[in-house]
Amino acid sequence: MTTVAYLAHCLLNANAKVDEGAICEGVSMPVLSLLRERGCTIRQMPCPELAFGGTRRFWAVREQYDTPVFRAHCRRLAAPVAEQIRADLAAGARVVVVGIDGSPSMGVELTAASAEWGGRPDKPRDDDYPVTPGPGIFVETLLELLADARPQVRVVGIGQDLFDYDEERELAKLGGELPPTHAG
Amino acid sequence: MRGDARSRRLVVVPDALLNPPAGAHDDLAPLAAAGWGVVALPPVRDEKWLETIVEQVVTFLDDGYEVALACSEDEAVAVFREALRATGRDVTREL
Repeated sequence: MTTVAYLAHCLLNANAKVDEGAICEGVSMPVLSLLRERGCTIRQMPCPELAFGGTRRFWAVREQYDTPVFRAHCRRLAAPVAEQIRADLAAGARVVVVGIDGSPSMGVELTAASAEWGGRPDKPRDDDYPVTPGPGIFVETLLELLADARPQVRVVGIGQDLFDYDEERELAKLGGELPPTHAG
Repeated sequence: MRGDARSRRLVVVPDALLNPPAGAHDDLAPLAAAGWGVVALPPVRDEKWLETIVEQVVTFLDDGYEVALACSEDEAVAVFREALRATGRDVTREL
């Protein structure tokens, strides 16, 4: 059975991250290598924050993005992805969506949320980054669009937006959602 | 604080380069090793998906990021390029 991995955009293009948010120049090689080692087909999802706020945006929490217009933007970006996921499922593939834990838009199990953030952009992006249980807005939207197909889709977040990002731990988590090592 | 690791360089690639057939040469690895970020085109022709990719690339171009094309002879890349040109931008560097 083919496994198709839908990656958060920045896992292949760290240029989409906010300033001080990237952990590599471009491609997250450990993630790419793991997916290839496991024989996955790779697809890249759009970055909702880049397309909305541009490359010069500040880091933000969910509440700052949670507007009707941003949600409509996420739906527009997620719709073709959801359609392709349905096509992959119909073709008999296993589908894994790989998000970014700690992200206000791409988080899976962890997002960033705070009622206090807003106004002057003076919030440091360090150990008081307000990580909170719950999904980011794009991932939430994508899963809603998948509707009845949702239970067939595995979803995992890599904690690259967490201050205590531990690559080995996060790769092990991703690996747990993938098939065993690819023989071919 | 992590500093700014972003390379400010990205390359638009067709699905075939991201997912090479079994036994084929991996042309993505050297690009990644050289620090290029990757923007992958969809596996099928999908105007709505392509539109979102064009918007993202325009965002990068307008902010001065270097953008290149890989496999420019690939049909999907050619379609992307035409869609990008329709916005008044172009990418001339090919890798």
